[in-house]
Amino acid sequence: MQQLRFFCKTGFLTLLVGLISVALLAALPTSALAQQKTIKYGTMHPLTGAYAVLGLDQQRATEMAVEEWNAKGGVLGHKIIWLHRDDELKGNVAIRRVKELVEEEKCDFIGGTLSGSISLAMNEFACKTKTPYMAYCMSDMVLGADQCEYGAAFMVLPYSASLAVSQYAFKNVGKKWYSITADYRWGHSLLEGWIWQSQQMGGQFLGNVYVPLGTTDFSTYFAKIMAAKPDFIVMNNLGADQTAAIKQAVELGLTKNMKIICTKTAQSTIKELGPAYNENVMGGMTFYWKLSSKYKGAKTFVDKFMKKYGSPPEQDGESAYVASNLLFMAIEKAGTVTDKKKIMSALEGLKYELTKGPEYVRACDRQRVQSYVLVKGKGAKAKGWDIADIVAEIPGDSIIMSCEDNAKKLPFINVKLPK
Amino acid sequence: MSEIPWNVIAMQLFFGIALGCIFVLLSSGMSIIYGLLDVVNFAHGTFAMLGAYAVFVVVSLSDSFFVGIVSAVVIVGIIGMVIEFLLLKPLYGKDPLLPLLLTFGLSVAIPDFMKIVFGLIGKPISFPDALSGAITLGPLTLPGYRLFIIIFTLVVMISLWLFLKKSDLGMIIRASTRDSQMVQTLGINVSRIWTVGFGMGVGLAALAGAIAAPMMSATPDMGVDMTMTAFVVTVVGGLGSLGGAIVGGLFIGLVVAFTSYVASAYSSVAMYFCMAVILLVRPRGLFGEQGRE
Repeated sequence: MQQLRFFCKTGFLTLLVGLISVALLAALPTSALAQQKTIKYGTMHPLTGAYAVLGLDQQRATEMAVEEWNAKGGVLGHKIIWLHRDDELKGNVAIRRVKELVEEEKCDFIGGTLSGSISLAMNEFACKTKTPYMAYCMSDMVLGADQCEYGAAFMVLPYSASLAVSQYAFKNVGKKWYSITADYRWGHSLLEGWIWQSQQMGGQFLGNVYVPLGTTDFSTYFAKIMAAKPDFIVMNNLGADQTAAIKQAVELGLTKNMKIICTKTAQSTIKELGPAYNENVMGGMTFYWKLSSKYKGAKTFVDKFMKKYGSPPEQDGESAYVASNLLFMAIEKAGTVTDKKKIMSALEGLKYELTKGPEYVRACDRQRVQSYVLVKGKGAKAKGWDIADIVAEIPGDSIIMSCEDNAKKLPFINVKLPK
Repeated sequence: MSEIPWNVIAMQLFFGIALGCIFVLLSSGMSIIYGLLDVVNFAHGTFAMLGAYAVFVVVSLSDSFFVGIVSAVVIVGIIGMVIEFLLLKPLYGKDPLLPLLLTFGLSVAIPDFMKIVFGLIGKPISFPDALSGAITLGPLTLPGYRLFIIIFTLVVMISLWLFLKKSDLGMIIRASTRDSQMVQTLGINVSRIWTVGFGMGVGLAALAGAIAAPMMSATPDMGVDMTMTAFVVTVVGGLGSLGGAIVGGLFIGLVVAFTSYVASAYSSVAMYFCMAVILLVRPRGLFGEQGRE
């Protein structure tokens, strides 16, 4: 009887303890147990303004990369919390919002943007706050004084784009050229590359017009160009600016007498221009979806993106996807989520094969070394997303200067830009 | 500086006038609205953007650019009248900031709505076949479409002038611009005149957007720059003055064209510079009435 009483007593106590434990455990998911380890990645994209389409592409590809990593358990067991902001393609807005991401949202890593000058400002902020920054766009930030150990760049350097496209142009299109250049640092860097290459390959530079970002009427610039009679016009601009410039050049019948070569173009621009982006219009890209017939990684990436968003990725999305993946790969390689220096070191020299052939991040300046693709429009023959053909793929190593030259911005620093 | 060839000057002049014509249509709409309602329409460029999209939709359905232009004016004009009737009218007689804030809100909300409906990639509108290509006159190459813009604007402005000067409704509108209380005492429903006037103003903005669309595609954010340009031209020409809108539009078009030639990087800044100078010298603008600066 005593045993029974003892059993009842202890049984009751056990039951009571058990119930309390279950209640505590039920309560815990909102406190201790729920505190799954996380890292925060904050990105900026121009979702408003001339590059809005490309900004959206970056945002989507980053989302895709984060989802893929989280689906396989995150990075070193840490779930990735991804936050993103619209930088509106404005430097002051970008700085305000990147501060918000780092200082208020406590992001451990930052990335993104599509303007060379904004990426420089973000890089400066990253250097000051020691926050690793993955630049998605063409930017000079890995050159000279702009370089610091917390920045890495995943689109080609601006001059690399110029070298790739100009090599082809001077060999296959003609020697006399005139340029239309977006009047900010990125455009100027592209022009420097063109002028230097022109000097090396016997090109004849007839002149340049600097055009403010967001210009919608280019007709007033064309009279000067028509009078100069170049073999081709170089477009050192992008997005809505490039769309308007090409459309109006075709309206004036310029492409009947000369070619248009865009140092960087975009799939959305070709799509939007339709028949106007004809076989007389060419452009450079780091990625075009037709690379999927050449590289297995490209096919996987393009198919996944198409399935998720209904259109093939732009080069800007591809850059965002690679940058995000490489950040997470570097964290895994470094074996730490907190030691930022170690993570950036792990990025240096990292070899991978993601969306194109084998590539690497150069150890000396954390610049992704990748090929550059030249496409030619299909004009009226375009069908669906089959809007251009790949003309050439220029290997990455052939269009990048040595680390020593890069640090001194050689040889481009010696190029005198026209006024 | 090397001498500029005469044909290049002639072409800059031509392009400047064509550009100025778009500014004329845009700012004359803004002038009518300001003259009639004393409302600074911050969403003016937004209505121009709606005009561009209306052309895109109608051309896609009807395959006729000219049907597209007329439809754009009618559709956007009606949208404008509905907005005036439902949203703006209740604000008349209250704080003058309220209509300004309302139109500013519209300039943010409508483009976002268009992004949801049409996406971020711009919608291309082809040049009408009859007007595509360029006419070569000796050393001059003049695009047919720009020539059309100049002639079309001339026809529209003459028609508008005749309407305002000769028709009964036009005279009532002009009288309401001068003294709406007096018109009211004559037994005319001024409230309706305001609605019609607002519809006309945004209809003209839509017309500007519609004829500009083939040159630049229709994009949700295109209205921002158009609003700014309309402001500059209206301020230069004189707030509320139709003649000022015409002179101001052509003047700014030519300023942009010739600055593009001599100092291309400053082509956008040049018009703001002109506005600043005119405001300093003549605060009411070139043709503005005294007291309306």
